[in-house]
Amino acid sequence: MFVFQKEQEIVNIANVKIGGQPGELPTVLAGTIFYNNHHIVTDPLQGVFNRKDAEGLINIQDTLSDETGNPNMVHIYAHTFSAAVKYLDFVSEHTDSPILIDSTESKVRTATASYVSEVGLADKTIYNSLNMSVTEDEIEALTISDIDTAIILGFNAMDSGLNGRMQLLEDGGKVLPKGLLEIAQECGIKKKLIDPSITPMGDGAGVALRMCITSKAKYGHPVGSGIHNAPSSWNWLRGKKKEDMLVAKICDIASTGLQQMAAGDFILFGPIENAKYTFPLAAMADIMISESVADLGSEPVDGHPVYKLV
Amino acid sequence: MTSPSHGGGPEFESPRAHSGLEIVAMFEDTIVKDWPSVRGDHTVVDPVSHICVVTLASDMEPLENVCMMGSCKTENLGIEKIIANTISNINIRYILICGQESRGHLSGNTLLAVHENGIDEHGRIISSQGAIPFIENIPTHAVERFRQQVELIDKRGLVDAKKIQAIVEEYRSKGEPFSQPPLILESAKKKKTHSPVQEIAHGDMMIAQDILMDSASGVIFVEV
Repeated sequence: MFVFQKEQEIVNIANVKIGGQPGELPTVLAGTIFYNNHHIVTDPLQGVFNRKDAEGLINIQDTLSDETGNPNMVHIYAHTFSAAVKYLDFVSEHTDSPILIDSTESKVRTATASYVSEVGLADKTIYNSLNMSVTEDEIEALTISDIDTAIILGFNAMDSGLNGRMQLLEDGGKVLPKGLLEIAQECGIKKKLIDPSITPMGDGAGVALRMCITSKAKYGHPVGSGIHNAPSSWNWLRGKKKEDMLVAKICDIASTGLQQMAAGDFILFGPIENAKYTFPLAAMADIMISESVADLGSEPVDGHPVYKLV
Repeated sequence: MTSPSHGGGPEFESPRAHSGLEIVAMFEDTIVKDWPSVRGDHTVVDPVSHICVVTLASDMEPLENVCMMGSCKTENLGIEKIIANTISNINIRYILICGQESRGHLSGNTLLAVHENGIDEHGRIISSQGAIPFIENIPTHAVERFRQQVELIDKRGLVDAKKIQAIVEEYRSKGEPFSQPPLILESAKKKKTHSPVQEIAHGDMMIAQDILMDSASGVIFVEV
C-alpha cells in the first residue's frame, strides 16, 4: 500500500468524515434504497413504499456502522420529485446519516436540491451528481441552493481514458467550456467527492480505479465510486448467476475491496440489503490497509475498525 | 420511420482519432465470424432473421424468429453495441424499438436520433434528448453504414409480447440482406499495443521510505 505526498482533504458531512490518507479514516459506505425495482417500492412515480421494511433496512445499516466503525450514508434514487420528497422526509426522520439524492433526470435532482434547502436538510445532503451533462438550469439551481457537497462524476463519453476523465474535471476537455471542478466551485460546492464513474468491464472499469489514485494524488479530494456496477453489468456473470446466485453476490461484494485498495474513501455499494455482507468486507480491508501503512505516517482515527474489531 | 438504403453509400472516411473500434475485415458471407461481435444484454435467436428487437429498459424473454433481442438502457455504450452488432450482420434490416423508455438516459429517443441525424464531429448524437448521448468507440462511417442498413420501427412503450411477436413475424423475412458486406469492428482496447514509456514526473505516492510511485504513469520507482 501507499500514502500520498499531497495533503489529503477530509470533508465533514453531518458528522461523517470522508477522505484522508489510506488507512486513516474508515471507508464510508452508502447503500441504495428505493432503487429501480426495489421490492419495497409499490409506486415509484408517487414514492409509495413499505415504511416498515424501509426503516428496517436503514436500521440494519446504522447498526453495522456502529459495530464495524465504517460510517454510512443513504443513497436514495427517485424517478420523480414527488417521490424524492417522500423518500427524503422518511430517511431523514430515521437516520442521522448523510443522504445522497440521485435521479437520472436532472430536473428531479435540481428540484430536490431546492427542497432540501427549504426544509433545512441541505447540510446532510450530497448532490449526485455533477457530470458532463450539466445544464445552465442545474448550475443555477445548485448555486441558489444551500447544498455544498456533491459527487463530481468523471464520466467522459468522448474520451473514456484516464486523460479524458481527468481533463473533464480540469478544463472540461472537449465536452465543457470549463472543468467540472471549477463549475462545482462556482455553484458553491465546497466539498467535492470525486467519482471516476464506473463504466462496464471492457469499457474502462479498471481505468476508473486508476483515476481514483491519480485524482487523490493531484487534487487531494476524497474519491469513491459505485464499483459494484462493474460486476452487475458483466454479461458473463449474469449467465453464472442463473446457475448460482452466490457467484454474482461474491463478485458484487468483493468489488468493494478493489475500490478500497485503489484509495477509495467512499463506496456506493448498491442495494442496501447488501449491507450485511459489505460492511464486514470493508472493515476487513480497512484493517489491512491501515496496518500496511502504519509506518508511513498514516494513523487510524478513533473508532476505526482496526480498533473496534481486532 | 425512414427507409434504409440498399447500398451506394458514401466512401469510407477515416475514423475519428479517438474511436476505440476499428473496421478490421469485411466478409463475403452475410454474417461475420463469431457474431455477435460485441457482448451485451441480448440473446441471439435466429441470426438470419431480418429483425432485431430492442426492449429499452424493459427486461423481456426472447421471442421466436427474432435475429437478436435485448435491452438497451444507456444512450452511449448501449447504442454503440447495437450499431456494432447490426453492421456485422447484413441480414438485419429492421430494428423494433419497444419496452419502457430508459428514464433520463432516453436510449430509445437516442437510437432514433442517431438513425435520423447521425453524429457530429465530436461524436455527439445530433438531436438526442438523452443525458450523455455520445458515440466514442464507433467510427463515423460505421454509424453512417448503420443508418443505411436498417429501418427503425418505433413502438416505444409496447411491452405486449404477442403484439411484438406479430411485428416480428411481419418483418422477419421482409426484403433482402443489405447489399454491402458485413463489417466487423475490433476493439482497439483488445489489441496488444505497446504504449510509449511515460516520463516519470515525480513521486506523489509513497509506498516505503525510498519507494515512490508516480500516479500518472503508474510507475513505482526507487528514489535516488
